Amino acid sequence: MASKTAAAKDIITLHGSAAIVSEFFCYAANSILYNRAVYPEESFVKVKKYGLPMLLIEDESVKSFMSNLTSQISEWLEAGKLQRVVLVIMSKATGEVLERWNFRIETDNEVVDKGVSREKSDKEIMREIQAIMRQVASSVTYLPCLDETCVFDVLAYTDTDVAVPFTWIESDPKLIANPQMVKLHGFDTKIHKVDTLVSYKNDEWDEEE
Amino acid sequence: MAAETKVQVSDPEAEFLNSKQETGYEWELFKENVRPLKRGRNVGILNHALKSHSDHQLRKNLIEKRRNLIEAIDEYEGDDPLSPWIECIKWVQEAFPPGGECSGLLVIYEQCVRKFWHSERYKDDLRYLKVWLEYAEHCADAEVIYKFLEVNEIGKTHAVYYIAYALHIEFKNKVKTANEIFNLGISRDAKPVEKLNDAYKKFMVRTMRRSNTADEEPKENNDLPSRSFGTLLSRGDNNARRQALGSSNPQAKKLKPNQSSKTPFAIYADAVSDTTSGNQPESDKSRPEFGSWLMLGGRAERNKENNSLPRKWASFKVPQKPIVRTVAAASASTFEVFVDEEECTEEEEEKKKNDETISSSSNVLPLNGGREIKKETELLRQNPLRHFPPNSFLR
Repeated sequence: MASKTAAAKDIITLHGSAAIVSEFFCYAANSILYNRAVYPEESFVKVKKYGLPMLLIEDESVKSFMSNLTSQISEWLEAGKLQRVVLVIMSKATGEVLERWNFRIETDNEVVDKGVSREKSDKEIMREIQAIMRQVASSVTYLPCLDETCVFDVLAYTDTDVAVPFTWIESDPKLIANPQMVKLHGFDTKIHKVDTLVSYKNDEWDEEE
Repeated sequence: MAAETKVQVSDPEAEFLNSKQETGYEWELFKENVRPLKRGRNVGILNHALKSHSDHQLRKNLIEKRRNLIEAIDEYEGDDPLSPWIECIKWVQEAFPPGGECSGLLVIYEQCVRKFWHSERYKDDLRYLKVWLEYAEHCADAEVIYKFLEVNEIGKTHAVYYIAYALHIEFKNKVKTANEIFNLGISRDAKPVEKLNDAYKKFMVRTMRRSNTADEEPKENNDLPSRSFGTLLSRGDNNARRQALGSSNPQAKKLKPNQSSKTPFAIYADAVSDTTSGNQPESDKSRPEFGSWLMLGGRAERNKENNSLPRKWASFKVPQKPIVRTVAAASASTFEVFVDEEECTEEEEEKKKNDETISSSSNVLPLNGGREIKKETELLRQNPLRHFPPNSFLR
C-alpha cells in the first residue's frame, strides 16, 4: 500500500508541471533581485523553500507584480505557448540593459495535445532547482558590480498566436551588445524542461561608467 | 511586463543555448576565493585560473603568460604605450582571481602609474585614471594618492575621480571635506555630470540621515571632570587627590536614571590621616611612609595573596572511554582544499635570475620571485608613492 502511495506522488500532470515552473520563476526572480541588490536587503523576508533559505520581497507593488506574473506564466505554460521568460536588469538613469536572466522553456507537446502525464519524483526536481538557486547566489563571483540604481522588467517570448493580455505590452528583445554569457544548471519536470542562462555587460576600461 | 512574439531572428543567447557549449562550474566550487571585479569577469578565464590551483602545469602556464605579457610591455612600439599595460592588468585580474600578493597586481599598478604620471597625453585618459583608482583601492590609505592626482591634475575632468575621492573621505568621517570635493568636481564640470550629481545627491541623503540620528541620540554631558588614571602623583598628595574625586559631584545629580551608565563611578577615599594629609610639613613629605603608594614593603607584605597553604584537590576521576579508530573513516570522500599561491618555487627563482640578467635596463620589474613580489606589495600597500620622486608632490 505504501509503495502505491509513493508511486502516485511521482506522477506529474501538465497543470502540476506549470505550477512548479511558474513558482520556480517567482522564487528565482526574488533571489536575483536580492542577490543583485536591485532592492535593499531590508525589503526581503526569509522563508524556507526547496530545502534552502530563500528571500521574498515584502514590497506590496512588487509582490502584486510577481503574483500576476506567476499566474500568467502558468496559464501560458499549460497552453504550451511559452518559449522563454527573461528577467532584465536595467539602469534606472539611462535605461541601458545590464543583465539578462534567461529561462528557456521546452514543452513536451504530446502532454499538451493528448493530456498524458509523466513520472518524476518531487525530490529529484527539488534537487535540480536547489542547484540553480545556489548558482544564482554564487554568480556574484563573475557578475559586474551594479553600483547604480537599477530597475527590472520581465519579457515573455510566446507563440505568435497568443493574445497579449492588457497588462503586457509588445517589446523589443532588450539585448546586450557583445555580452558575456554563462550557462547555469537547468531542471526538468519531464513535461517542461527549463534551461538557465545569464548574460551581462562586460565593461571596458575606456567607457564612462 | 512585456510579451514578445517569436521572431525568426536568432539572438546570441539562443545560439549559445543551442550550441550545447559548456562554460564549466569551477566558479561555483571556488566562489569564496574569487575577488569580485567591478567590471565583471570572463568566466572562461576564471574557470581556467581556478583549475590551476589543483593543476601544477596550468599554474606554470599562468606564470609564464604573465611573464610574456610583462615582456610585451617592454617590447611595445605602437602609438599607445598605455594599452599593453591595460591588457596586462586586465589579464592578471582575471587570471589570479583571489588577488593577493602573489598576483603581482599591486606592483604592476604602481609601475604603470609611475611610467606615465608626467605624460600630458594620459592626464585626461580615463583608462589611466582607472588604473590609479584601482591602485588606490588596494592601498592602506588612499588619501595620499587622491592628493597626488589633484596636485598633478590627473583625471580632473572625470566624475569618477571626485566620486571615489569624496567617498574615501566620507568613509573617514570627514563629511565637510567630502562635500567640498563633490563641489569641486561640479564646479569643474566633470563628466558625466549626471553621474556626479547623482552621487552627490546620495551623499547628501546619507549626510542628512547621519545628522538626524545624531540629533535623536541623547547628548552626553561633557561637563564631567576628566580623570587620568595614569597621572604621576606627587608625593603626599595621593589622598588629597583621591578625596577630591570621591566627593559628591553636582553634575551627577542632574543625570537621568537611564543615563546611569554614563555617571562617573565612585572612587574609594581613604580616611585622611595626619601622616598623609596635604598640610603635612615638607620634611615629613620627603620620607616615604609604609602603606603609602610610594613604598612596596617587604617580601611578606608583597606576597600576602599567596599565604594560604595548598590543599588536596577533589579526587574525582573522569571515566575514560576507549577510542576506537576505524580505517574506513580515512577513506571517506575528501573535499578539495584550496591552496594559496605558492610563494616562490625554485624554477621561479631561476627565471628571476635569468630575467635580471636579460633586462636590467627594463622599466618593468620581472614578476617571478614570489617572495620579492610579496615584500614589494606590502611596502606599496603602506606607502603607495614610495618610488616617486619628491618633486612629484609639488605643483
